[in-house]
Amino acid sequence: MIRRFALVVLVAATLIAGAAAAAAGPVDVEVLLADPEAFQGEVTLTGELVGDYGWRGDGWVWAQLNDDAYAEQPILEDGALSGGNVGVGIRMPHGLAEELGPPGGYRRRGPVVAATGTWVYHDETRGGESYLEVVSLVVVEPGRDLSEDPSWLRLVGGTALLGAAAALWITRKRDEA
Amino acid sequence: MLIRPVRDDFVTIGFYLGRVFAVVAAASGAPIVWALFEREWAPLGSFLMMAGIFAVVGVALSRNVRRPPRLDWSHGMVVVALTWLVVPLIGSLPLAMSGHFGNPLDAFFDAMSGLTTTGLALVQDLDHLAGSLNFWRHLLHFLGGQGIIIAALSLFAGGGAITLYLGEARDERILPSVTSTARFIWAVAIVHLVAGVVVLGTIAWQHLGFGPARSFFHALMIFFAGFDTGGFSPMSTSVGYYHSAVFEAFTAVLMVAGAMSFGVHFALWKGRRREVLANLESRTIISTFALTLVLTIIGLAVAGTYGSVFGLTRQGLFQVLSAHSGTGFATVPPVELAAWSGLAFGGMAIAMALGGMGSSTAGGVKALRIGLTLKTIAIEVKEMLLPEGAVVGRGYYQSGKRRLTTDIAQSVMVASLLYVALYLLGTGIALAYGVPLDRALFESVSAGANVGLSVGVTDPSMPVLLEVTYILQMWAGRLEFVALFALLGFVYAWVRGR
Repeated sequence: MIRRFALVVLVAATLIAGAAAAAAGPVDVEVLLADPEAFQGEVTLTGELVGDYGWRGDGWVWAQLNDDAYAEQPILEDGALSGGNVGVGIRMPHGLAEELGPPGGYRRRGPVVAATGTWVYHDETRGGESYLEVVSLVVVEPGRDLSEDPSWLRLVGGTALLGAAAALWITRKRDEA
Repeated sequence: MLIRPVRDDFVTIGFYLGRVFAVVAAASGAPIVWALFEREWAPLGSFLMMAGIFAVVGVALSRNVRRPPRLDWSHGMVVVALTWLVVPLIGSLPLAMSGHFGNPLDAFFDAMSGLTTTGLALVQDLDHLAGSLNFWRHLLHFLGGQGIIIAALSLFAGGGAITLYLGEARDERILPSVTSTARFIWAVAIVHLVAGVVVLGTIAWQHLGFGPARSFFHALMIFFAGFDTGGFSPMSTSVGYYHSAVFEAFTAVLMVAGAMSFGVHFALWKGRRREVLANLESRTIISTFALTLVLTIIGLAVAGTYGSVFGLTRQGLFQVLSAHSGTGFATVPPVELAAWSGLAFGGMAIAMALGGMGSSTAGGVKALRIGLTLKTIAIEVKEMLLPEGAVVGRGYYQSGKRRLTTDIAQSVMVASLLYVALYLLGTGIALAYGVPLDRALFESVSAGANVGLSVGVTDPSMPVLLEVTYILQMWAGRLEFVALFALLGFVYAWVRGR
């Protein structure tokens, strides 16, 4: 009986320790979203800031942090397609966002950051939103512009097609006249 | 005897298809200008290709016809069915060339989803997609929601216009002529466009703290997707991206406006509010919305998903409104939505299946059909309970007093049953691939009712057969079956007729 009790205590202690470790350390956003309720307390998310910085009047800046394959290797730099984006909202004090540079988007790789803060799941004061409230932020890789080659074949081909349509239309109008 | 279509039939169909393609070619000018302005050269090339193909095909199809031929019912239906197949096919070219889709079928899926105002998406790495391509995805919502055919009708009146109008699942002629009705529909859209973009843009700029240009971009995209009950969004986290109850509230206003029939818009325009509230359709949609909202909120409360009334109300209300209006915006991630179970799941699924009002941009069975079905059942029950020979009233109010005839009751029942069959089709196919029943049903209803909410089944790695099934569901659901059956009949007559 005592052995069984000891075993149960050992297993429980291991699970609690594991959960605590998961909550305190770096967490993948995909893992976080799969069980968002489990991560309470301080977590570190690493990923690319994309979209916009929302500079609110209350002193917070909102952004989206994407922790997916595209944050590691952009498509325009031969990154492979690997499904939809995986991201979460983060908010940070104005001071943390001032030196970040533009967020990611088309032909732009946003800054990759390690954001540490409190994971707020279903914040009742904000009507059930979930987000990371950042207290410290480290830029792992600064943002940079990307380039995409224009496809001359498409540009010329498309223009030629439009020209052909115009020629056909003019011919028809002449025939009608 | 089945009569095989002759050359003249094809010429007539081709002529009107050509006109519609010409309108879409003109509409393609908008993303071309956007790409030029933003110097997005790679997308620009693909837009030029698309516009060129629409223009060449459009002009070629109507080239050898001197006078617009008379369009009969079957021709009109075939034109509509083909329009809604070929426009997304050619319209998917810029998407397919973008490098953000695994294969051309995925791009076609998104173009069909855009045009049918569904909102399910297979685009990958949306957050790095070019602005002009995002604009095109959302413009497809606008073209589809307002009706490409309506656009063509606004520009070229012609014989048989009413057939095209009805084929696009619009059965309400608001003004005496179809052309004037079509122009009214576009006027409503333009007024909402200006007001919606100004209000949302101001909120994004002043409240969310975005830059002016990005505020305009977000406002325009969310307007297209909200007012046309589409559900695409410029960012992967949908409307949850904005983290703002104010932004969500104004988006909700657009969703409500989109789910209202243009007849209701006209009545409100004329100040006839009492008539709107007396209509069976309005009463039905208010009742079903309240019912599904209560179900969902009770379900969420019982499950303890949100700990406050504010959380329950904000999240429950937005999601149910999005589902019932057929929009498909979400403020919670798909994995979280998939975890909504019990009453919350039921409320959402029912809301999606029922849909908005007829002759609106929403999909689903539609409120008037639901109202008439319930009315028919009530009449049947009364007739059983009352003594033989007792007269049971069969009247209802819908823009005037009307009588619920057996023909109307039958057609309503058939359409409702077809929707149920459509929902079951996608559910069955997904089940065959091992998707759990609740998720299979949710996603299938979402596709068939042109909603766009997802619990994660729609994914670039989904089986091809399931993907094709969802494409068919989006197409059939949007056209409300009639045009689809007409096309099938036309093809059958071509193959087997004499």
